[in-house]
Amino acid sequence: MAERIVVTSLGIISALGNGADANLQSLIAAKAGLHYPQHLQSIHAPQFLMGEVAYSNDDLCTLLGLPTGNNGYTRTTLLALVAMQEVMQGIDKQLLQEEGFACINANTVGGMCSVEDLYPEFISDKQEGDFLKYLDTLDCAESTQNIVNYFGIKPFTATISTACSSSANAIILGARLIQHGIVKRAICGGCDALSRFTLNGFHSLKNVDKQPCRPFDNTRFGLNLGEAAGYLLLETEKAAKERGAEILAVLSGYGNTNDAYHPTAPSPNGDGAYNTMQLALHKAGLQPQDIDYINAHGTATINNDAAEGKAIERLFENNIPLFSSTKPFTGHTLAAAGSIEAIFSIWALQQQKAWANLHFTTKMEELAIAPVAQMQDANLQHVLSNSFGFGGNNVSLIFSKA
Amino acid sequence: MMKPVYISAAAALSPQHSFDADGFLPDVVSSNNGKLYVQDTDYSKFINPVAIRRMSRMLKIGISTGMRTMQLAGIETPDGIITGTGRGSMRDMELFLGDMIRLQEEALNPTYFIQSTYNSINGWLAMQTKCTGYNQTYVHRGHSLEVALLDAQMLLNENEAKQTYLVGCFDEMTEDYFVVKNKAHYWKKTLPDSQHLLQHSDTNGTIGGEGAAFFTITNDAANAICSIEQMTMLQEPTPQTVQATIDSILAEKGMRLKDLDMVLCGMSGDARYQPLYQPILENTTAHTTVAAFKHLCGEYDTSTGFALWLATRLFTAQTIPEVLIQKKGINPTIGNILVVNHYPQGTASILLLSTNK
Repeated sequence: MAERIVVTSLGIISALGNGADANLQSLIAAKAGLHYPQHLQSIHAPQFLMGEVAYSNDDLCTLLGLPTGNNGYTRTTLLALVAMQEVMQGIDKQLLQEEGFACINANTVGGMCSVEDLYPEFISDKQEGDFLKYLDTLDCAESTQNIVNYFGIKPFTATISTACSSSANAIILGARLIQHGIVKRAICGGCDALSRFTLNGFHSLKNVDKQPCRPFDNTRFGLNLGEAAGYLLLETEKAAKERGAEILAVLSGYGNTNDAYHPTAPSPNGDGAYNTMQLALHKAGLQPQDIDYINAHGTATINNDAAEGKAIERLFENNIPLFSSTKPFTGHTLAAAGSIEAIFSIWALQQQKAWANLHFTTKMEELAIAPVAQMQDANLQHVLSNSFGFGGNNVSLIFSKA
Repeated sequence: MMKPVYISAAAALSPQHSFDADGFLPDVVSSNNGKLYVQDTDYSKFINPVAIRRMSRMLKIGISTGMRTMQLAGIETPDGIITGTGRGSMRDMELFLGDMIRLQEEALNPTYFIQSTYNSINGWLAMQTKCTGYNQTYVHRGHSLEVALLDAQMLLNENEAKQTYLVGCFDEMTEDYFVVKNKAHYWKKTLPDSQHLLQHSDTNGTIGGEGAAFFTITNDAANAICSIEQMTMLQEPTPQTVQATIDSILAEKGMRLKDLDMVLCGMSGDARYQPLYQPILENTTAHTTVAAFKHLCGEYDTSTGFALWLATRLFTAQTIPEVLIQKKGINPTIGNILVVNHYPQGTASILLLSTNK
């Protein structure tokens, strides 16, 4: 890439907790965040373990200094604002005002967590009520618009929706906007709140596991859903040095491809995953043997792990890097998955640790390779993070040690 | 500074006969219920017969428009596919949500869920064109298509090699959506005949619409219909920022106001947004034709797509259908068009298109 793009600030809220410290400590302690949901109202809630954020909407409002109750903010937006608050903490307000930021957000179902409760009122004859505050939350840009309003971010805003690779794509767009000189800095990431809509969607596809999910395990059955928000501040190395910012990691490569195979299933040999990882390596100017750890997409669905595993085997051949999926910690957080796992990848580089692939016991019969079952100290220079989605939308990101 | 990019083919499914009719906007279609719906075409010409049976209308509209554009461009596989949509397949979302509530979360049909994902049309287009390259879906309300175009422009500037991206947009009108947005005061209280919408700009509200438009965007000037010379996205536009943006685009291109052959405006008959276009109506000289399009397609997140398609047709036809004209100019040919469009959720976009290569 022309100018080196670096990460200088991050923010996260997930089932592992609010903020970087809580999330990192849980990863180190190999402590998963999956529970039976307390906040999601669904008849399936008592049967499915999920990565639900512990805070209620009112708790989140309190963290943000917003009025509690029906204030027009959806849980999607509240999660996004809390994570963004952490990103913005280290940033001089004047910098934002003088030089401007891009805000690239990603999302799969907008404010569905609220809409699904209010929809009957939306389409009724009722002309008055609290539901009116939520009329604009039907689309994916609602959280983005709230972020830029709350923090006064300008001049560039966009929202991406490519299913489970959405926020990894947000990171790519941010990097490219900077490289083209359209903005100097970009805050990129994604957010998704648990909703009945999403739970029932995945449940109707029969790929949600009632047990804790087991990525890359022969007994895997499906995914656990989760909710989260994660954002990263990207800028050029030069811009970071100018302001004396600590560089957390370098975004050294990325790839975006499409399977062109099936609306929801990956190509069985993982051609899409293979192409994407290869493209990211090419962009980074690296060889397969340079990758020390892969934070895999690893949803624990039958199809994903077989396709992704085969792609890893084919691309890395005799140099299979350490790899693991952190989905058993957080659940699959959909649009947020790419950005929170980018953060986990950066921490892997900083801590020199490959994160545990929790609940792994039995090697897959389709694969010769196995994930890191327990957290492992390792010399990590380059880490690859995969995010693959419905519609065949694949993204790989490569982060390198600062 | 990025180099301009070119539109080499365009297709649109819209409330008008824009897709496969002879002539340019023949038999203008109007409605008097506040909603303008897409004129259906024979979707089976563009979609595999097995797949089409379960497809929702939005998918059929989006995929067919994309495939038709590829046909017109004479390309089988683009280098990538980039779309913008405000709402994706609304109807699939409504059906899945409706079923979920009605059936109390039991025995749901996953097809609606899958099709409601915003990137599903992109996935289908990738499959149908065997395009394993770059694939992206933007969902940013009134700037969805604009960001897709910017992305294509960046990609084409990242490569020296000749490349072509399929870039498009799609949005759908539904009965529910009309009811929901009525509560947000989008529509006129007294609904006029759509053809006369723009004569009612003294009252608030507009009419709803829908459509899909796709373009092949390339860095190859040969065989191009026009270039996209400039594109500016405005947040919370005012008459002043609209005028200032036009002035700066003209200055940057070394153009005078009278050099503009046409300004194609997104005025929607809504008194709240009419002031955005007033400076254009007042300041353009006798040389420039001021035209409008929303009385033909209605208001939706990606209506800029319809305007861009119209522009490509205006360039190739070199005639201006009477129904578009707000103020007739004297410039003899249409060599450039400035598209100015607003969206009710507080954005606007301004694009300069040109046939000068």
